[in-house]
Amino acid sequence: MAIDWRNYKPLLIPGIPNLHKIEVFEKNGGYEQLKKTLKSLTPEAVVNEVKAANIRGRGGAGFNAGLKWSFMPKPDGGPRYIAANGDESEPGTFKDRKIFEYNPHLFIEGAIIAGFAMHITAVYVYIRGEYKSWIDMMQKAIDDAYAKGYLGKNILGSGFDLDMYVHSGAGAYICGEESSLMESLEGKRGYPRVKPPFPAQKGLWGRPTTINNIETLANVPLVIKNGADWYKSIGAPTHPGPVLYGISGHVNRPGVYEYPTGMSIMELINDVCGGMRGGKKVKAVIPGGSSTPPLRGDQLEGVCMDADSLRTAGSMMGTAGMIVMDEDTDMVDALWRISHFYHHESCGQCTPCRDGTGFLEKTLIKIRDGEGEMRDLDLLLDLCTQMEGRTICALADAAAWPVRYTVTRFREDFEKRVKNTVFALA
Amino acid sequence: MPEIFIDNIRYEFEGKPLVLQFMLDNGLDHPFFCYHPSLSIPANCRQCYVEAGTPVWNRETNDYELNESGDRVIRFFPKLMTACSLEATDGMVIKTHRTSELVKRAHKDTLEFILVNHPLDCPICDQAGECPLQIQTYKYGPEGSRFEHKKVHKPKRIKLGPRVILDAERCINCTRCVRFTEEISKTHQLTIISRGDKNYPAVAPGTEFDDPYSLNTVDICPVGALTSADFRFKARVWEMNQTPGIDVTNGTGCNIDVWTRDNLVLRITPRYNAAVNDHWMPDFGREDIRRMNENRISKPELSLDGDRIKSSWNNAEITLWEKLKEFSPSEMLFAGSAFSSVEDNFVLKKHAKRIGAEKVYFTPFIKQGSGDGFLIDEDQYPNTQGCRLLGLKELSPADFKAKVSDSAVKLLVMLEDDLIGRGVLNTADLEGKFVVYMGSNHNATSAAATLVVPIANSVEQSCSFVNVKGRIQRTTAAKETIYTNRKLNLEMSVGRLDRYGTKFDNWVTDRNRIDCIPAWEYLERVAAQDDANFGYVSTRAIMAEIASTNARFTGVDYDRLDEEPGIPLISAEEVKTA
Repeated sequence: MAIDWRNYKPLLIPGIPNLHKIEVFEKNGGYEQLKKTLKSLTPEAVVNEVKAANIRGRGGAGFNAGLKWSFMPKPDGGPRYIAANGDESEPGTFKDRKIFEYNPHLFIEGAIIAGFAMHITAVYVYIRGEYKSWIDMMQKAIDDAYAKGYLGKNILGSGFDLDMYVHSGAGAYICGEESSLMESLEGKRGYPRVKPPFPAQKGLWGRPTTINNIETLANVPLVIKNGADWYKSIGAPTHPGPVLYGISGHVNRPGVYEYPTGMSIMELINDVCGGMRGGKKVKAVIPGGSSTPPLRGDQLEGVCMDADSLRTAGSMMGTAGMIVMDEDTDMVDALWRISHFYHHESCGQCTPCRDGTGFLEKTLIKIRDGEGEMRDLDLLLDLCTQMEGRTICALADAAAWPVRYTVTRFREDFEKRVKNTVFALA
Repeated sequence: MPEIFIDNIRYEFEGKPLVLQFMLDNGLDHPFFCYHPSLSIPANCRQCYVEAGTPVWNRETNDYELNESGDRVIRFFPKLMTACSLEATDGMVIKTHRTSELVKRAHKDTLEFILVNHPLDCPICDQAGECPLQIQTYKYGPEGSRFEHKKVHKPKRIKLGPRVILDAERCINCTRCVRFTEEISKTHQLTIISRGDKNYPAVAPGTEFDDPYSLNTVDICPVGALTSADFRFKARVWEMNQTPGIDVTNGTGCNIDVWTRDNLVLRITPRYNAAVNDHWMPDFGREDIRRMNENRISKPELSLDGDRIKSSWNNAEITLWEKLKEFSPSEMLFAGSAFSSVEDNFVLKKHAKRIGAEKVYFTPFIKQGSGDGFLIDEDQYPNTQGCRLLGLKELSPADFKAKVSDSAVKLLVMLEDDLIGRGVLNTADLEGKFVVYMGSNHNATSAAATLVVPIANSVEQSCSFVNVKGRIQRTTAAKETIYTNRKLNLEMSVGRLDRYGTKFDNWVTDRNRIDCIPAWEYLERVAAQDDANFGYVSTRAIMAEIASTNARFTGVDYDRLDEEPGIPLISAEEVKTA
């Protein structure tokens, strides 16, 4: 699919100097959509518009944000919450921090509009604790928004009240999972909750709650400004909108790039990121954060960064945090490192994940250190089967998929390693 | 009525039962670890997997959709479901390990993962023999392990509190103990620390797990991670006999199991009774094993010219009989006891009446403000309510002291109640009187008494108690006295070794038997000296007489007490209307 990405003008992080300052943001049309919403739109109209725009969640699952909003029950006078997920702890993902840094008010505006649409009383912005400076920036932006009357009681004279708080995480990957994020916000240990009940029925402190990714909420003012049809015309039809690609690995210019969805992976590598480092060949690409299945270099022809195309190719969009590996990469080592991460980050609540991630890592260490045997490869795949879909949250899946698909798609690397085992006699 | 199909068998259900509990209630075995009927459902062990499906409803025909062969079309959930958190719905179809290979495999898989970091030290583990992990691994587990790596090492022998010791390596992180302190005892003293396979329960730094209910976590721990500091390494489970009983340290009357070996009570665990204590009991009730085993009075004792001598039963009976002849009824004082059973108090009252003494007195032992509204009651004795219902005269401690210290009283007959030890009386009050003390343990009161009669306590005989809420419950003999025999007393429990050991071995020894008889039996023998035989052969018969003569005990008998979880006695109003 041909996308005119070369003439694309960034919307989420436009190159306007000092946009993070509220005066500059206002001068560039900031908070106009909020005024428009409060003045002329009903909450239902906002939800329907966002639903029609089909903003697919940017946190990894890719669920229609407007549809998620519509699950919120009717207001009963009690508190209702939005938890904005800025925990981004997935290896290879570093996009939300660009919003915190360059355009925090766009997110704040989107969150207020979302709050208006769902009759929310408070928005919690959950940011990973390691992002210390971005937490400070976000806090400054929120303080400025309060000073200007965009937050607090009776926003812009509309009678709508909304509070916004920043909450810093304590460095746990699992707290990016929506239900453990809520537990963490409540001051408890970050253990995912059993669903049902879903957050829309019983979320924070037992009240209706919607959890959205930071980038998802930043897309909302764009939809309000130009309408759902305009939004749907950007990028891939089934997965529209601008997206922040966080590209890392063996490319010449790694970084966060804003382009429409549906970009060809090869174009992203060769044209956007200036090609592979040292002119090497692509060996593997992990398209959307370390938990998504890696694609082989020779699988990439014609694959685009949108949910459908990636599903056909055998992977997922995830967070669009793309990790590119060149032909010199040792896949056994790379996979071990990913498994090490999931072993370290498993919260320990469910048995298959708690003990399975360790089992996977230890088996991979054995293979890595040249002590592996062929049966260990089958064992790895078997363990993946034992973990997938057997836990409360998706961390076990996230830990198992990279193993399953790296072992099957790069099997020759693993076989080579285990055939050279220290135990080999024949 | 809504129906559910489990392994192709139809069951009917009411309300919204959880599938796991429903299966257990219907006698279907299913493995699980983290689920506990009295705690919240975290579904974290992932052991109770089932395949679950619901029938497809056809809106046009307004009936279930049927396939070609006329069966309902079932839409199965895409993933395996944990039965513990799955609510039964009408028409639901459940496949367990009995019919589904997938579920069978899933049970194996989860057990393999649980055992990956479990030390497998069953031979030295206290839990072995009653360990859900051990039992379920034998039933549902894999044949071996494919884990060839080093296990995760965690702290061992951590003293969480004065009574509970943790072995973190054995822990399978079911969080039952944490949920217990959060939901039942509400002290919030335990939490899981660290992450992933390194996590284990712990207390906050600088604090200790001194929850008054802390030992319940040892009971609900599905592995040997939490062990009782007191019971640790004392006995293997299969060496002990488990006998139902009642906790007599408190007015609540928690239902307990008494675990004995060689006539020593080694531990006490709570027994489920939804109406009284659910699955729980306070820690001090378990420490009662010291009173049952140690410092026991064995053989009657008599003070003679300032010397304390051991006496014979015959002498003990004759002595009291003579004293009852020597003094007039107005010079005697009979003291019942809220610590003793309904039967003992009843026979004492009957005895006093026979002699002509007008009343039997007792004084309750209530520590104001010591209750917690849960299982710890202000009433320190198990049978205060029973004494009242039997018509014993209740006196405040001060009135009781005045009554006893009256110089007109020459003979004092007391049922087990350490009145000096608990501060109601002092030694001077008893001076110059002939004091008969029927008790099971040496204490300040027995030391001041002239005649000490050793009596069987609540774990050496069947007897009943009425708790603070007016519920009558009974105990069963758990340990033998010199005069009872486990093999002849059909009520006494049979241990696993008795049942499954070779018949050439005698697993039970005669050690640690106390020379004592129940108080009612002693009183009966004294009465027999007058040929006024009461004719009681057992507490069962005494209870039958109580039930037929006292309206408040209507309908109570031992057979019912065995069948039902205690009987709530009828109220005074009900007696009037009846």
